[in-house]
Amino acid sequence: MTGPSDLPSGAEHRLEELRGGFFTSDLSVNEFLLVKEAGFHPLGFVMGSSIYHTGFQGRRWSKSQELTKLTEAMYNARELAMTRMEEEADELGADGVVGVRLDVNYYEWGSDAAEFIALGTAVKAEDGKSYRNRLGKPFTSDLSGQDFWTIMQTGHIPQGLVMGTCVYHIAHRGLGQALSSVGQNVELPNFTQALYEARELAMTRMQDEGTRLGATGIVGVRLEEKSHQWGSHTIEFLSIGTAVTKTGEVSLPKPTVIISLDN
Amino acid sequence: MSAAGDVPEAASRRLESGSFSSGLSATDFSACLQMGLRPVGLVQGFCAMQWGWYAAGSSLGRGLSPFGPSGGGGYQQNWYCPHGFVGGEHRTWGQNFEQTWVEDAWRTGFSAAFDRMLEEAESVGAHGVIGVTDTSRHLADTRVIEFHLLGTAVVVDGAPSPPAGTPWSTYLAGPRLAKLVEAGFMPVSVVATMASVRVWAYCITEFLMEGGAYGWAASMGSTAEIEQVSEARLAARVLAREQARRQLGSDTLQGIAFSAVEREIGAGDQVVECTLRGTRVRRFKDFDPLPPPRPTVRLS
Repeated sequence: MTGPSDLPSGAEHRLEELRGGFFTSDLSVNEFLLVKEAGFHPLGFVMGSSIYHTGFQGRRWSKSQELTKLTEAMYNARELAMTRMEEEADELGADGVVGVRLDVNYYEWGSDAAEFIALGTAVKAEDGKSYRNRLGKPFTSDLSGQDFWTIMQTGHIPQGLVMGTCVYHIAHRGLGQALSSVGQNVELPNFTQALYEARELAMTRMQDEGTRLGATGIVGVRLEEKSHQWGSHTIEFLSIGTAVTKTGEVSLPKPTVIISLDN
Repeated sequence: MSAAGDVPEAASRRLESGSFSSGLSATDFSACLQMGLRPVGLVQGFCAMQWGWYAAGSSLGRGLSPFGPSGGGGYQQNWYCPHGFVGGEHRTWGQNFEQTWVEDAWRTGFSAAFDRMLEEAESVGAHGVIGVTDTSRHLADTRVIEFHLLGTAVVVDGAPSPPAGTPWSTYLAGPRLAKLVEAGFMPVSVVATMASVRVWAYCITEFLMEGGAYGWAASMGSTAEIEQVSEARLAARVLAREQARRQLGSDTLQGIAFSAVEREIGAGDQVVECTLRGTRVRRFKDFDPLPPPRPTVRLS
């Protein structure tokens, strides 16, 4: 697999079967119902995977800095997995993929190597219109079936799962620095600044992706922090959410007041 | 960042771009649009604080601390040994006291992060910040605690800008916020307070917590209240509530959540920290009775 354009032959075979009208999906019954209610039907369970060697980057003990090589690696690996998933969806003629999950797995057999995997259910609109995003690709979103229905009722259409990442090394404090403020609880402006910057970088990158898709906004943004296998001073900040475009007005009826008689 | 006053360059760049980002879930997002609130951006604030002294809380320092009977200036309660004998290891007295300097530091860190978040919100012309979350945690393995506040800035289209330019803020979002407004209240501000009480065990507490070396046949195996610890936990909650009350003025606090952490720092010695979070609210209209609810039964 040199580029993301070639799917394994097993996938081809599986997708061929799905084209017959038979579908697989990881949607729950309720999700399935609401996806149908929103005017879409599931085509099949799609995935994309990428095993990536994240390598190593030297860091300076006492300096807080972004580790750009690692940032790029983490970003590209996820992007590859996502693109392959989109291709599977494309093969099925899907308009989009809902309920996308992005995972990172580490295996014993590969040090510094990680598998990035994207999973979701490809859906197609029943009204025959195309809901593909402005890059002509199926939209992706991490919204559940329920959330997907709700978003559609607010007059917004998902455009894509967008993300930004930043791998950052937090400086170790020298003995001198630590001693000079021993016994005091004071703000450490360098730390504040460095981490603030790192998260903002991740969020800006996410927002740039949204802008490229012509999105009006991003909903459900999550800000995750992981140390993976780099030790506690190196942290990946990952910002991820679903970019949406406004196409109409809110058509959600005013909620009915209910009282549940269940325990 | 010597004072809360400058948002990093990356933040300004992010907030200036045309599209919005929001940490709201799809449900919260739709409830927010229905209420006439338009999300304009995810806003956040940070403050990293040196938090060195915790590790020094060993029982060796017991009785040597500068914060003895009159040091902290807050709540304080003493316990004395009823046995009337003095042995090298026997703890003849014990004390609970409020660690006001820890509370001060917590307040400094929290408010710096909070102010920075509001500042980001103000820079995008927001009226309010909804769905606020706050965390404070140790950074990597350093003795640094980082305070992080995050929320979604919203605009009420057509409304005048908020008085004094400061947006309102709330922990609530979505349907819960809608219900609050429905009930005739508007959010004013997020309120969070922290109370820290240190327990220095005296002989009885030490025995009950750890099992002492003095063979107290009478209480062996029986169930007894550890009065000193109960008092400390109660005090921490009361103190956190009192601090919050002082911030309220004539408003009320809605959706209060208490969380308490106990940290063991030696034989029977511990620190009890209680955090209170809630949203300060103000009545702006009379309560409109809701339509009668429809009873439902789930079939699953």
